[in-house]
Amino acid sequence: MKRLADNVLGLMVGCLSIATIAFLVAPLLIATVMSFDSREFLGAFPPPSLSLQWYVGFFSDASYLKGLQVSLILALAATALSCLVGVAAAFTLDRYSFPGKETLSAFFLSPLVVPHVIIGFSLLLFFSTIGVFDGWVRLIGGHLIITVPYVIRTTLASLVGIRKSLTEAALILGATERRAFWKVTVPLAKTGIATGAVFAFAYSMDDVSVSLFLTGPDFYTLPVAMTAAMRSAFDLRIAAAAVCLIVLTIALIWFLDRVVGLDKVIGQGVYHK
Amino acid sequence: MKLTRGAALVLGLVVAVYGALMLYPLLRVFEDSFREFIPGRIGSAANAPLTLANYTDLLHASYVSYFWDTFRIGLIASVLGVLLAFPIAHFVARRRSDWLRRATVGFLITLMFLSVLVRVYAIELSFGPAGFAREIARLFGVASASRFYIEFMIVLGLLHYAVPMSALVLIGTIQNVNPRLVEAAQALGSARWKSHLAVTLPLSARGLLSAFLVSFTLSISAFIVPMVLGRGKIMFVSNLIYTRFSELANFPSGSAVAVVMLGISLLVIYAVSRLTSGGWERAVR
Repeated sequence: MKRLADNVLGLMVGCLSIATIAFLVAPLLIATVMSFDSREFLGAFPPPSLSLQWYVGFFSDASYLKGLQVSLILALAATALSCLVGVAAAFTLDRYSFPGKETLSAFFLSPLVVPHVIIGFSLLLFFSTIGVFDGWVRLIGGHLIITVPYVIRTTLASLVGIRKSLTEAALILGATERRAFWKVTVPLAKTGIATGAVFAFAYSMDDVSVSLFLTGPDFYTLPVAMTAAMRSAFDLRIAAAAVCLIVLTIALIWFLDRVVGLDKVIGQGVYHK
Repeated sequence: MKLTRGAALVLGLVVAVYGALMLYPLLRVFEDSFREFIPGRIGSAANAPLTLANYTDLLHASYVSYFWDTFRIGLIASVLGVLLAFPIAHFVARRRSDWLRRATVGFLITLMFLSVLVRVYAIELSFGPAGFAREIARLFGVASASRFYIEFMIVLGLLHYAVPMSALVLIGTIQNVNPRLVEAAQALGSARWKSHLAVTLPLSARGLLSAFLVSFTLSISAFIVPMVLGRGKIMFVSNLIYTRFSELANFPSGSAVAVVMLGISLLVIYAVSRLTSGGWERAVR
């Protein structure tokens, strides 16, 4: 009797898990298949025959292309700046001790707990009152503040893992402090920095809630253009764009796995967005 | 090492970046929320009279319902997310390194990185009017344009992020629960489901709470999910802030909503992190 109850319950939990995974995958598969739909209109799933028309449509639409261009440049710029600021902050926090250090690192991570809509809204207010109307400055500022905490967190996590004895060994063997830093600490912290850079790039590419406040009718990112399209005409060019973004995500994850190893990423706390 | 002048300069610069891009803008929002609304201005006038009207307006029943919807739907999604994620996390955590474990972990991480627009669009395409909405709505015995079905879509949208996130948090926790404890309970005659209820679940309580906390804070600050899937019929507080900017251009009122929302978010994080007794920082991580 006990065995039977166990088996029935085990089977139910197993089915529930499979259903959950199916729920996570199925919409993505449906969107991918629909992006190859050959019909001119948004019809029912599955499409009767396949074509590339929505991809051609996406890549020949001037507004999407402009958004894509802005998004890519913005993501690269935000990632570079985030790494610069974040790595400087993390190394200094790790290396020196001073009163209020805990509070300062909590402050540096705090943008993670402020809802992005509020960051976007407050930056809009701020930039408008000080008279900054340049789209690039606004967007880079907004993306910097939401991506920097990730770089600081992953870099700090990798630095904590480096044993102090390694640096001390280098010093005992005659390296100068500077040399030990560049030859021992920096190479070992590389995985943390790389993880942070991937986070920064992915979240900058993905952001809507901050960008929506800082863009205008003739200066926008790809996600903002996609959001606008989703609210007006729900056509399948968005599906083509979505498939491109899925491919980009998989490429990023592949890169992360090659450079860092996914098991390490979990260990360092990938848990928060 | 003691702080050198160069290091202090670096930290000072980083603090300046945070001050300019986060702290000062938030203080501006706070100040703005007490200013009287003058139509047609971005931000309040510097000398606009002070008022509490932006806050007292929020006590109106229609505003309270936005907050109620946000927290109710956020709560449903995050509780469901943790419950659905637990068996998956348990399955992964109890496996040795093999291809299935690697594949599942890779899949979960990919899902976390996936653009929120892609999720929302895929869910709208599959469960919306162009997809299987009518069939699924009939299962519930409701119309596909009903409020209940729209709420269901929003919960699905939030779950698509909450499940992989919770699963990743829980994998770490369950891995640290000694599997011999469950084996001991079973060897002593406990049924398998009972041994999990009595041993695995309580020992993963902290992981469950922090998975719930992260899901909940992200769900209540969700923006795109309710904006697209809510079809204007259901709005979260974050959407309310956006309409203050996009449709009404009433910044003082938007600021008041933002201040209340930020306050509540921080309060939730503080309360649950006290429960997990790990400090907010660890709980959020």
